[in-house]
Amino acid sequence: MGFFKRKHEPKKVPEGRVEGFYKVTGSGKYAAEYKLENVCYAVLVGSTIAAGEIVDINTDNAKDIEGVLDVLTHRNRPQIPAFADEAKAKRAGFSLPVLHTNKIFFRGQPVALVIAETLEDANYAASLVTVSYKTDQAKVDFDKEHATVPIAATGKERGSMDAWSNAPHIREQAYTIRNQVHNPMEMHATIAVWDGDKKLKLYDKNQGVNNVQQTISRLFDIPPANIEVFSEYVGGGFGSGLKVWSNVPLAIMAAKQVNRPVKLMLTRPQMFTLVGYRPQSWQNVRIGADANGKFLGILHQAKHGTSVFDNYGEGITRISRLVYNFGNLKTESATVPLNLGAPTWMRGPGDCTGAFALESAIDELSYDIKKDPLQLRLDNLAVINDPDTGKPWSTNFLNECMTKGAEMINWKSRNPLPAQTKEGEWMIGYGVANGMWFAGRSKASASIIMQKDGSITVQTAMTDIGTGTGTGMQNIAHLELGISHDKIRIKLGNSNLPAAPSQGGSTGLSTISGAVAAVCDALKMKLAGYASLQDAIYKDAKPESIVLSDSGIAYQQAGNHLISFDKIFSKENLQTIEVEASSGPGEERQKYAFCSGASHFCKVRVHTKTGKVKIDRHVCVVDAGYVVNKLAAANQVSGAAVGGIGMTLSEEQVVDSTHGCFIGGDLAGYHFAVNADAPIIEVDFINKIDPNINPSGAKGVGEVGIIGAAAAIANAIFHATGKRLRDLPITPDKVLLAKS
Amino acid sequence: MEKQKYSRRFFLSTSAMAATLAFIPVGVKAFYNNVKKLVIPLKEKMAIKLSINKAKYNLTVDTRTTLLDLVREQLDLTGTKKGCDHGQCGACTVHVNGQRVLSCLTLAATVQGKEVTTIEGLSQGSELHPMQQAFIECDGFQCGYCTPGQIMSAVGCVNEGHTHSVEEIKEFMSGNLCRCGAYNGIVQSIQKVAK
Repeated sequence: MGFFKRKHEPKKVPEGRVEGFYKVTGSGKYAAEYKLENVCYAVLVGSTIAAGEIVDINTDNAKDIEGVLDVLTHRNRPQIPAFADEAKAKRAGFSLPVLHTNKIFFRGQPVALVIAETLEDANYAASLVTVSYKTDQAKVDFDKEHATVPIAATGKERGSMDAWSNAPHIREQAYTIRNQVHNPMEMHATIAVWDGDKKLKLYDKNQGVNNVQQTISRLFDIPPANIEVFSEYVGGGFGSGLKVWSNVPLAIMAAKQVNRPVKLMLTRPQMFTLVGYRPQSWQNVRIGADANGKFLGILHQAKHGTSVFDNYGEGITRISRLVYNFGNLKTESATVPLNLGAPTWMRGPGDCTGAFALESAIDELSYDIKKDPLQLRLDNLAVINDPDTGKPWSTNFLNECMTKGAEMINWKSRNPLPAQTKEGEWMIGYGVANGMWFAGRSKASASIIMQKDGSITVQTAMTDIGTGTGTGMQNIAHLELGISHDKIRIKLGNSNLPAAPSQGGSTGLSTISGAVAAVCDALKMKLAGYASLQDAIYKDAKPESIVLSDSGIAYQQAGNHLISFDKIFSKENLQTIEVEASSGPGEERQKYAFCSGASHFCKVRVHTKTGKVKIDRHVCVVDAGYVVNKLAAANQVSGAAVGGIGMTLSEEQVVDSTHGCFIGGDLAGYHFAVNADAPIIEVDFINKIDPNINPSGAKGVGEVGIIGAAAAIANAIFHATGKRLRDLPITPDKVLLAKS
Repeated sequence: MEKQKYSRRFFLSTSAMAATLAFIPVGVKAFYNNVKKLVIPLKEKMAIKLSINKAKYNLTVDTRTTLLDLVREQLDLTGTKKGCDHGQCGACTVHVNGQRVLSCLTLAATVQGKEVTTIEGLSQGSELHPMQQAFIECDGFQCGYCTPGQIMSAVGCVNEGHTHSVEEIKEFMSGNLCRCGAYNGIVQSIQKVAK
């Protein structure tokens, strides 16, 4: 844990991200951009019904088109070994037997794949594939179906519901949120290249190369070592890249069929059905408090949609178990199977949905009690122990987040009564809400290659989906070793590099920082080993007693017993020095609970005549341990808040219950926040080290920036208008029609 | 340029036919597809001359090819990104004769004789354009996928003089979507260059 000693203060503030130059010049290669000899193009044909069976597929017209190489359907595709038996498919963790069944589970399900010399040829030919179906009754209407699904206990009950049935203040309300879609700017894409029968290269958009490698290994029955996955640049994910979707096996099958590299990039409309979404949800929250506002109990019930072929469950009620002290607590949940594509984790999965209901309900209660919503929360926060496990929080400064945020937005200037502040035709309101996310950490490996000139490359298989992982690794390596930033290169996103888990759930930096610290120690020890052959003082050296710099290795302080890297390399006749190390969570996980927290404050204006909501200010104060790179971390948080603005005011994927399709399945029909929809987001950090979580003391920030954001905005809208909006998104029509 | 064989009206009427026929039984649709194959020009190529990043190109392109697919798939200029292919996201923004243009909505055939600048041609040699430098300094991106389009658009925004306030910058940059939500840094980068 040498990191905390801060031996090497940063020499200079790094100018920007390690990959900045490649991103601003467009020279970084994303999945579909690798230039491969003899590559051809694949275009997907999706089903036009939501449930039923394929009766016939006619691909003759498509095959007649000049440039078309082949058209794959469930009748002629190469066999994926795991789809030959159900147990194997299950083990592979891939639920949609794509092109291996005539059954249709959702509209848009791939039914054919056209492979052609050019994208234009493939696109045109795809329009000529005709499919006839036997149509079954599809279940796509969540509102209609969820009432028929029974709800069941989830997690341990605390105390009893009877204990607070006569509480002086009880609030019970239902909250609903429509489907939301990740829509990373880079569409999911795969280039598959076979080398013989048993070796495969995949250029793929995902959040974890090792996950793709493992899944494809199990599906195609090829050893993982024979599958190389390249994902050096990843154009966003937000969870959609945590799973392997049908585009990957489809491209692999196609490449096998035509014996050439095949490129398959989903279209934007296909991004709405084939790579997951945050499922539509219904929640009911009953919350009770005594006359002073002490929380007595909570009942949190949640149901959300899932697909008929892959049951996805997310912990919507978990957030109610974590943030506040509820002596009595009951959580219940259910999933509702629908004929839609499979939903999946989307930024702040579960908690983001749950926090909207919990933090809205608390806000409603605060106005019942006539107590400041900020104070009500502060009085009930559980910052000492995790109320669910009883373990002490390693660190939890959510209370400080709240007070700091309140200062930043000048909370005390706000009129405590709702619907009182007007500016012309606009009504002004302030809202607050909290977010929390468990601070996970997994095991990961990293290696360092040192060159004769003392420059190093730190590398791992982990991807950087835009979070700044590479830059964080460079900062940590610099602080650990003392070598200047410009002599530290970072290599990421290749399955041949030391193994690392997928980047998701705000665990990336927390996980990899441990591996980087460990491999830095390993480098020091390796160098000390060589140095000891020239100077005996290095014989019993420990990582803490080694000081590296651009000039060489020193003992205990810079320049002391200095041996230049050049001397070590030439004396031992070395070309490079290579070390690898792994690091993961340990027994600290038994002792402590870990979390990141955030407080959101929002100032909105609501137009009295049009119902338009404009976010004037949005403040987010985050407690996520030590902040390794403030610029990138603040960017993460402000970006998540922008996501929260979209979630609250405009994002909804409505399902057409007649045809079973999504309405508005493109970026003109599905509105996430554009530049003008968001103010400059104001971000600050508590920046106190978590001494137990990992060697860097840093925790993830990717999720907490969105968890709670929606409730802060909805609460501000209530404060502005006196209207409580419990159905997201809060579009102008809902604002106008709601009663105060 | 070769004389057009099919009028716009013809194209619109066949498209309308396609839309109508989408709800008609499969046999009819198959028949329609046969007709479509006869009446819609299949692959047709034409010669075009244009300049991209000050280099002259004499190319033979499929008439259906967009400027976006031309630069990405045929010329290996992959800095210009495909984010929607429908003119809804701005990731494919390039300059044509100095104006910001969505390359996914521009058929390659229509840039005959024009000067195209992509992100690869924005900087002079190894020197970054001030806007590229500002994006690095202000961290005006996360995943980087929308970034080339944002930068091309940002240069346009400054050239057009729409930089008098944060609100104005935001309004004139709202055709470029960023799902990472790096709008703080994008606005700050533009302010920095506009000074």
